[in-house]
Amino acid sequence: MRIDEHPVLSFERGEKINFFYNGQEIEAYPTETIAAALHAAGVRKLGESPELHRPRGLFCAIGNCSSCFMIVDGEPNMRVCVMKVRSGMRVEEQRGKGVVGI
Amino acid sequence: MKHIEVMVIGGGPAGLCAALAASSLGAKVLLVERDEIPGGQLVKQTHKFFGSEKQYAGDRGIHIGQMLLENVIAEQDIELWTDSTVLAIYEDGVVTVEHEGKHTKVKPDRLIIATGAAEKFLSFPGNDLPGVYGAGAVQTLMNVDGVKPAKRVLMVGAGNIGLIVSYQLKQAGVEIAAVIEGLPKIGGYLVHASKIQRAGIPVLTRHTILEAYGNGQVEGAIIASIDETWQPIPGTEQKIPCDAICLAVGLSPLTELAWQAGCAMAFVRELSGHVPVVDDLLESSRPGIYCAGDVSGIEEASAAMVEGRLAGLSAAFSLGYEANEAKALQQSAMEELAELRAGPMGQHIRDGINKVKLKRKIGNHAFENQTEKSGIVKDYSSDATNTCRAEIKTSLINDGIPTKEELDAIYPSDKRLTEGPIAIVECFQEIPCNPCVKACKRGAISMLRDINDVPVVDEELCNGCGLCISLCPGLAIFVVDKSYSGDMALIKLPFEYVPVPKSGHFVAGLDRAGRELGRFEVVRVTSGGDKNKTFTVSLAVPHDLVMEVRGIRIGEQAI
Repeated sequence: MRIDEHPVLSFERGEKINFFYNGQEIEAYPTETIAAALHAAGVRKLGESPELHRPRGLFCAIGNCSSCFMIVDGEPNMRVCVMKVRSGMRVEEQRGKGVVGI
Repeated sequence: MKHIEVMVIGGGPAGLCAALAASSLGAKVLLVERDEIPGGQLVKQTHKFFGSEKQYAGDRGIHIGQMLLENVIAEQDIELWTDSTVLAIYEDGVVTVEHEGKHTKVKPDRLIIATGAAEKFLSFPGNDLPGVYGAGAVQTLMNVDGVKPAKRVLMVGAGNIGLIVSYQLKQAGVEIAAVIEGLPKIGGYLVHASKIQRAGIPVLTRHTILEAYGNGQVEGAIIASIDETWQPIPGTEQKIPCDAICLAVGLSPLTELAWQAGCAMAFVRELSGHVPVVDDLLESSRPGIYCAGDVSGIEEASAAMVEGRLAGLSAAFSLGYEANEAKALQQSAMEELAELRAGPMGQHIRDGINKVKLKRKIGNHAFENQTEKSGIVKDYSSDATNTCRAEIKTSLINDGIPTKEELDAIYPSDKRLTEGPIAIVECFQEIPCNPCVKACKRGAISMLRDINDVPVVDEELCNGCGLCISLCPGLAIFVVDKSYSGDMALIKLPFEYVPVPKSGHFVAGLDRAGRELGRFEVVRVTSGGDKNKTFTVSLAVPHDLVMEVRGIRIGEQAI
């Protein structure tokens, strides 16, 4: 859920855009990170741990802890807590180790 | 390879101030920030800062961050690289940076490491479930992205971050189940605790989280009381339904680059972990490398800003810039730091810094000599200054609610109360903060020695104008007017929620623990202004409740 009214802040979000989460179209604003846009849509599970396959979510939101790794436009290990969402972006849950193609 | 006189790593409060200070003396500076927007944690601090006006006290963190960034951008001698991550510091002093997608080399004459800190984690079953967040992460989601992180939150930790983020969650319309704290006392400023208590958020000391539960994400937590040995007391377990658990259990300095650069490091519990050992001018054991802000010990952002300034001055000074002016500026920065750390809340920082100094003397003779270059700083840590400094010993320290004795001690005389409006400053803890003193145009609020003293109101000078209400960063000032009418008295209180009540509305009046005392009429609402954003709400209440009502709640039926 997005905050509409706030006692201190006002949010200038710009024009709505769409991106894809596991193939499903989701609305977002270009000022948001991927993680924030997913949270606003109610998605908090961002991936699975490599060995025990436990659900993984956001922890630090400053690009430091690596808990939020997702696959973005085919590229794994993207820190979606600090990566801005873009129109048409394809974001997928990362399961297992993110293997980078050479 | 790029050559630069001073390179600053990290664009938070320390880094921004370091860059500004170094360039103000004439040095050419490169400021490198990992994030897209510099400001560090300032970009999400919606509350007003403590400290003195030298550290912009009374302004909200976001506004301080914007102001510092605007100054950096306006300064021709500062080159700013954002979205750029420092990768390594090499033995020959070359720093490599991922900048504009390229591996870039920089050779600085002086280097300032201001990398800040990251949140600590806590071990309990279920701590990896989605919905367990760092408190700072929740701040980012709500205050930067404008997204509510959850509907109902359990906050773990009653230090300043736990208390402040709980308040900010409430401002964003999120419910807080409770703030729990393992220590037997509240670690953060008590005015923050008082603020959330009167909003109805309980603060439970000597409590811990046993586990987080939920299918695929957080659905709740089990908490329990703990004994003196930190063991859970059987039978005290409580199930707290919530969809998020926020960890505010401290910060760890982000010291990777200091380690890699070969700076002498020391483990200092009071500074929150391994920190680079620095001298009074913030130079590390590796000549030409300075450290400022949380990287060399966790403190408030106000101290980080002053440290940044000091490191920037020191770096530029060592390059030969403005020798005379720099010394005086360094001196005043050191005095500001000493003053910020002088109160009981700065005790652990003083202890921590002293420990590091000791290690330096034992371990490294060459380094020891460097301390001689600093001037004599007024010694705020001496026992003489500390004899009057006292920690709060009453239940106020456990729940943030002042006791009757504490309140009686600050109330004006009965005679003065009947004569007309007067300010009541419910600020009992010696914290470094003094905007109230400057706020009063009549000079009615004063502090005995320095900014760590509790403010005292002169009941003859105060005319109850209420200007101080919206300028107190702790929202701890109220104005009481018993001369309002025969039946009713007036209480003026600060208000920072939405929606804002209008005069004529009836709202619930709350006591200091957030309990409803009745429904009362709003007589007047004044805005603190576009930047201040704190409203002052005047409420007509019965005479016998004017010393009890300290908050309001706007229920559905109230408007």
